[in-house]
Amino acid sequence: MAKRISNNIRRLRFDNNEMTQQMLADVVGVSRQTIVAIEKDKYSPSLEVAFKIAEYFNVSLDQVFQYQ
Amino acid sequence: MSYKERSIWVSLAITLYIWFNYFSELYWSAKQNSLTTDSMQSALLVVVFITIFLEIMHHIVIAIIDNKNANYDEDERDKKIALIGNQNAYYILSFTTITAVLHLLFPVMSQGLVTALKLPNEYVIINIIIFGALVAEIAKFATQVFYYRRGF
Repeated sequence: MAKRISNNIRRLRFDNNEMTQQMLADVVGVSRQTIVAIEKDKYSPSLEVAFKIAEYFNVSLDQVFQYQ
Repeated sequence: MSYKERSIWVSLAITLYIWFNYFSELYWSAKQNSLTTDSMQSALLVVVFITIFLEIMHHIVIAIIDNKNANYDEDERDKKIALIGNQNAYYILSFTTITAVLHLLFPVMSQGLVTALKLPNEYVIINIIIFGALVAEIAKFATQVFYYRRGF
């Protein structure tokens, strides 16, 4: 079976005082729709955005994104 | 639905509406033997003015409805989707260019079209290019809408 990129952004947002998608979008500099698409695994962000998300939640990249 | 996606849907609708009117007018005029270079030129002028007017109105209305996002800049996903749309449009435009060149080099291949339109050859070429550009534009918008909906 082909591997795909999944993520834990939804859970990380929830653990971070139930942060909204719009707040995360503003932090990383993308639209809310892009955060929605990433959470639904419909879009794989660039490395830059991926690192920004991990940096914001203060976790490593592989705690946010998994390739499996 | 994002500001960008909404804007693309409206542009697609405007493009389809205007150019459907243009080509249906061309078709019926040709069928009634009333198609002349003057009527084609005036139809094209109407298309240009209506396009400018509707596009301005479209941006004003969307900015009023969704004023929070009116100054929204494209992010990386928007740019990637736009790129795929432009790529598909490019293939169609390339094909159109080849078709126009073939029409010039081998007029016998498109004799039916020339006979049907009863226009000078340069006007037939103009219509081939316009039609190709229209299909390319529709393909661009359709591709963008598809990727906004389905993701990738």
